[in-house]
Amino acid sequence: MPSVSRLLDLMGPAGLIVQALLASLGAVVGLLAFILMRRGARRVYFWRRDRRVLEARADWDGIVDGTIPPKAWVLSRMSREIVEGILLDRLEVAPPKECERLLECLRFSGLLDTRVHEARIWRGWQRHKALLALGRMRVPEAIPALMEGLDDDDEQCRIAATRGLGRLGLPRAAVPILERLSTGKLQVPSSLLLDALIDNCRATPALVLTYLLKSVDTAKPLLARVLGEIATPDLDEGLLLLASDESSEVRAAAARALGCAKPSLALSILTGLVDDEEWFVRLRAVVALGELEDPRAIPVLLHGLCDRNRQVRIRSACGLSRLRDHLEDIICLALKTQDAYAIQELVSELERSGGIFELVTAMGDSRRRAKAEAALLAALRGGCRRILLDLVLNHEDWRTRGMLARLLSRSADTELLKIMELFDSPGLPLRKRRVLRWLERQLAPTQSPFSQAAKVVA
Amino acid sequence: MIGPIVQWVNALLFFYYLACNLIYLRLLLAAIKASVSQNRRQKTAWLDRVRRSPLTPPISLLVPAHNEECSIVESVRSLLRLDYPEFEVIVTNDGSKDGTLAQLIEHFQLTQSDYLYLPQIETKPVRGVYLSRTERRLIVLDKEAGGAKSDAINAAMNLASKPYVCVVDADSMLERDGLLRIMAPVVNDPDRVVAAGGIVRVINGSQVKNGSVRDVRLPWGFLEMMQVEEYLRAFLIGREGWNAFNMLLIISGAFGVFRTDLCKQLGGFRRGAIGEDLDLVVRMHRYLREQDQKYRVHFVADPVCWTEVPSTFKSLGNQRARWHNGLAECLWHNRRMLFNSRYGRIGWVAIPYMWLFELIAPVLECLGWVSILVAALMGLLSRRFFMQFLLFGYVFSTLISMGSVLIEEMTYRRYNNWRDLGRLICFCFLEHIPYRQIHMLWRLRGIWQYLRGNHTWTKIERVGLGKSPKPSVVAG
Repeated sequence: MPSVSRLLDLMGPAGLIVQALLASLGAVVGLLAFILMRRGARRVYFWRRDRRVLEARADWDGIVDGTIPPKAWVLSRMSREIVEGILLDRLEVAPPKECERLLECLRFSGLLDTRVHEARIWRGWQRHKALLALGRMRVPEAIPALMEGLDDDDEQCRIAATRGLGRLGLPRAAVPILERLSTGKLQVPSSLLLDALIDNCRATPALVLTYLLKSVDTAKPLLARVLGEIATPDLDEGLLLLASDESSEVRAAAARALGCAKPSLALSILTGLVDDEEWFVRLRAVVALGELEDPRAIPVLLHGLCDRNRQVRIRSACGLSRLRDHLEDIICLALKTQDAYAIQELVSELERSGGIFELVTAMGDSRRRAKAEAALLAALRGGCRRILLDLVLNHEDWRTRGMLARLLSRSADTELLKIMELFDSPGLPLRKRRVLRWLERQLAPTQSPFSQAAKVVA
Repeated sequence: MIGPIVQWVNALLFFYYLACNLIYLRLLLAAIKASVSQNRRQKTAWLDRVRRSPLTPPISLLVPAHNEECSIVESVRSLLRLDYPEFEVIVTNDGSKDGTLAQLIEHFQLTQSDYLYLPQIETKPVRGVYLSRTERRLIVLDKEAGGAKSDAINAAMNLASKPYVCVVDADSMLERDGLLRIMAPVVNDPDRVVAAGGIVRVINGSQVKNGSVRDVRLPWGFLEMMQVEEYLRAFLIGREGWNAFNMLLIISGAFGVFRTDLCKQLGGFRRGAIGEDLDLVVRMHRYLREQDQKYRVHFVADPVCWTEVPSTFKSLGNQRARWHNGLAECLWHNRRMLFNSRYGRIGWVAIPYMWLFELIAPVLECLGWVSILVAALMGLLSRRFFMQFLLFGYVFSTLISMGSVLIEEMTYRRYNNWRDLGRLICFCFLEHIPYRQIHMLWRLRGIWQYLRGNHTWTKIERVGLGKSPKPSVVAG
């Protein structure tokens, strides 16, 4: 029986291996040469490019004013791209007067026409690039070419056109998108549509509302979401309508819009939405109520704090912690609910948002001390113990440490003694140990678990 | 009797090797195509859009730390400096025996608090939650050692309040715009993208200042250079290639974004899983395919996470053995997916590939060496064929490594120095002997550890971020 290697030899794999070996060797050499040559070529390219950029920057005023005729640079592709790049970058940050000058240059130099032509004639990657460049030019003349891109069969092209239209930042540019969207013709990822519409309709939210009220079911939540970001107080009646819409996503967007626009009706509408059956509508409602920063919203937010959904509770706590001047009342009212989760959520949020640190710092201010102390005592009753004890021991200001220690000693909170046990480690410095001993004596002079444990250790 | 067996084993291994190389070649071609189009998209995909869009979702960064006192402060600082609209950083001190917690307390003025911790996912007991007086976005969780990274991540996930979580290793450093870049596919398609992973690169040899990489250079150590090549190949060809076919099974545990609700629904990272990153993504595929949902797991090659790689044989060997142990454990745990039509291309292509060309590859490689030796001793080996085959193997592996250098050059170009490029190319030729054989032994050890039931989170010796034992050369 011939060996398998011999068999392979006869069948041809050995020959195949030689061919594969030669091909691989060729590919390795080819890759090596390509990598090195490419790097060399790029070096030369960037050297030339940098030189041209410097020249363009030196002659910038002449280029923009037209004293250097566009013929001098527009015919070279590299120069054209450099000037266009600088122009578009400057357009992003230029004041209105400078913008006009730059736009004029875009028009008379033919840069705009070239891009419009490219966006209509070219295909694939080059077309996408042209569409995006047109969007950055922020001129209404670009809209027809971008509209054609919206109707293209290629999804990437539609995406580029949508992004281009979004970059224009003009209400007119929103119309083609809104029209196609309301008839369900535009197939583009929703996040791109949202961004484009938000950018274009920021100054005219009423335009979105108009299309929203007459749009089909699929487009309605999307348009409502746009409105949620750009709504203004004058849309209150429209928002009232949306808040009672049958679609929960539209109701949630209406709540968002109310928080954004803050119309006079906001509080009463949002109060109704806090009892919605969908958790995310309630969530949006409590977030919006928090954004109002209105003390009249405290009872509603406290209601949200006791919600069955944790996200709603967290966001209600966020909203409540923003009302820093009313913290004492808020904590006391929260304690009255006797909902342990709600109280703990509020305390956590106060600690997390820095509310406790702020109150502790406020104790140093004679005008705010009384209020801060009352709020801190309420927070202590709510379970905010470790952080206060830690601050008694480790706060950088010794006066604050002293004031806080005295406050804790007045609290008569025996639960503190259990926490103090955890803090009393063998490596604790003597000063801190003395503070703990003093606090212990103040809180429970006769029998505390802490003192008994200390005796056992001794 | 032995003769024909050896011959047939050799023939089978030959075809196995052929199949393996063809797959690599296909992945390389797919990766080149995907990288070039990704690069084009990046040129026009303004990160500014992600940054200023009100639709960009907030993220919780989860940082598991176990004995990381060398790098934890620098790492957390770099995370807090990230360019992203809204995020929080949750560090879990997983029962460290060094000064990890003390370093954090000192540098970020941490205070113990009564912050509400709801253990939705079961973990080892939490000893305390710390909040920072200076940095409100930072939360530190102190817990008893769980013996695995997954336990630490799960504890942090219990505290996460944002819709997406990003897992970042404590010995790693993200580029400032890394989060914006990794979230770009999520922002573009939030309904379908459930997870996204970025590229992990080697920081050894580069200069780090104030929590960011200032001068990207290649390391000087042989082992570290080998790992640079490996990482480039694994991410730029492996991940990019599988991503092109929507069959990505791994998102690196050092830098990956996941949808929080889905993670919690799956019970977080599986307790006891060693390759927790692979395991979570495989379970995501499994769950979402069982639910008939349309989804996508993305790899984005642009957002960079810099990590310190082991610089000693012992550490590297431990790490690689652990990775292979994790792979074995995960594949065995999800063995029902193998050739199961319910899981589509994942069950028919990706999982079998992992079994055949990743998990048992070191065993087959070892078997190949033994059978070649036996065949040679019995005079059954055609010496000419063997030499040609060996040479082909060497050249082809070099070609694949060169392919990753090509992608790097054509797209991301992190190593701008000519000398670095020269060294990258040189190491494409050097890594096959004897590093590859040693690597095979480490992986065999991983399988052995799995069979013996060793599932501990081993410590990797580290110098500290950017503190290279050898000085990096000043840019020319």
